Amino acid sequence: MILNITFWAFSALAVFSGWRVFRADSMVRAAYWLLVSFAAVGIILVLLKAEFLGLILILMMGGEMTIMAVFMVAFMMNPAGLNPMTMVHRHRIAIVAGVVSFLAIAALGLFARFPVARAPVGVDPTRRLGVELLGDSMLVFQSAGVTLLAAMIAAIAISSARGRYGDADEGSVEPTQLVPAADAGETAEGTQPIVGGRQ
Amino acid sequence: MNALGVVIAVVTVAFVAAAGVYVTAWIDLVLARAVAGLEMRPLDALIAPLRWAAATALKARSTTERPDAEAWALAPALLAALAAVGLAAVPLAPGLLAADVANGIVLFGAAMALVVVAVFLQGWSPNSPLPMIGGYRFIAQGLSYEIPLAVVLIAAALPARSLAIAPIVTSQEHLWNVVRQPLGLPLYLMAGLGLAFWGPLALPEGQDLAGGSSLETSGVSLVLWRAAQLLVLVAVAAMGAAVFLGGWLGPLLPGAAWMILKTVFLLVPLIATRHFVARVPTERYVIVSWAILIPLSLLDVFAAGIQALVAAR
Repeated sequence: MILNITFWAFSALAVFSGWRVFRADSMVRAAYWLLVSFAAVGIILVLLKAEFLGLILILMMGGEMTIMAVFMVAFMMNPAGLNPMTMVHRHRIAIVAGVVSFLAIAALGLFARFPVARAPVGVDPTRRLGVELLGDSMLVFQSAGVTLLAAMIAAIAISSARGRYGDADEGSVEPTQLVPAADAGETAEGTQPIVGGRQ
Repeated sequence: MNALGVVIAVVTVAFVAAAGVYVTAWIDLVLARAVAGLEMRPLDALIAPLRWAAATALKARSTTERPDAEAWALAPALLAALAAVGLAAVPLAPGLLAADVANGIVLFGAAMALVVVAVFLQGWSPNSPLPMIGGYRFIAQGLSYEIPLAVVLIAAALPARSLAIAPIVTSQEHLWNVVRQPLGLPLYLMAGLGLAFWGPLALPEGQDLAGGSSLETSGVSLVLWRAAQLLVLVAVAAMGAAVFLGGWLGPLLPGAAWMILKTVFLLVPLIATRHFVARVPTERYVIVSWAILIPLSLLDVFAAGIQALVAAR
């Protein structure tokens, strides 16, 4: 009973917040409506006994949506992200694509034959799903994952600690942009021009 | 799923959370007065947090020009809920645990990962410059503490070969993780300070931003926001006690008493940083985190992995 109510409540929330993504008038709002939708799906996964997958989905999406919002806002005309904008473009194509994909998924739900075999008690779904998805390639994927992680951390450590033209926290300036020491003359210490070249 | 059990669990978590927040506020107050050399009657110290909460809640709420009212109202509630979920994942004694899930560490991590969302929304939604800078700052901060936090928790889970908290506690029967993985607890506490934006890492709410992300917040929202922040600290200390200090394991006293003692033992130094350690500049924190803390945490998890492999032989 509680399970059913929870399932339907979070299903409704996932659909509703998915719809709100496209009605939101700001990138930050859209990103967080999408996060609500993903979190609702994550909780449904937990209800389906795929606890690890559900929780990991929420964990990953929390950071991911925030980063996406920041990037979107950074690339947009209004940096605060609070001025109204619209998430929907090219209405005709969007409507056709939306209706077609809805019908396809609905048809799948209605006409596909789902297995009815009950899973044996005591099975670890996370493990089974991992073996099912990756199988013999597990070691390859794990190694690739660790390699990617190391590469990402190295790239960020290199770019954040010491840029090519100085420490990141001092404001890096390309050497040609710097005033030569002899020309600096009366320029007070710490007032290097950031743009504009030689003066 | 038993309805009565759910209600009992929720009420218990709410009670423990309220008690934890109150004790944390009290410790912070006592430390503040002691550092300032002020005299204080014990009764005053007990009442002062409640008096502050009542006075702040009764004040008229100020607002800004065109805020995102829904998100602004949501942010403190979200932070409180996330901290409560994190606390619910921690077992107080064998079997005494609100969120009895097989992936307790992942549940805690997921709740804590969303703290960034709450703090960012708190800063972003008032539509005001200083809070927004605070919100964006916290994203940089979050990206810096989240990886060490997750990695040291994974390292602590490795000897137990389980992501549930109870096996992690029992795996420390002979040797606590704080000894077995000497890098773990210091890295965890540093990440925890960042998570609770407390003391040296109160960057989104720094005085250089005149209060930052909660500058425009007032009234009940501010009370809830502070309580939620303290609750994050409590959740961090409780999880640290369970995962690194052997949780309920200990002689003579009952398990729950050990758990509470160990939580307070971690809570006091965490709170004290606010009174003894200067705030760190954001850029320096991000650089130190990526260049030193993350490599150290990777070292920690690799060492734990090798230990686990050797133990499995």
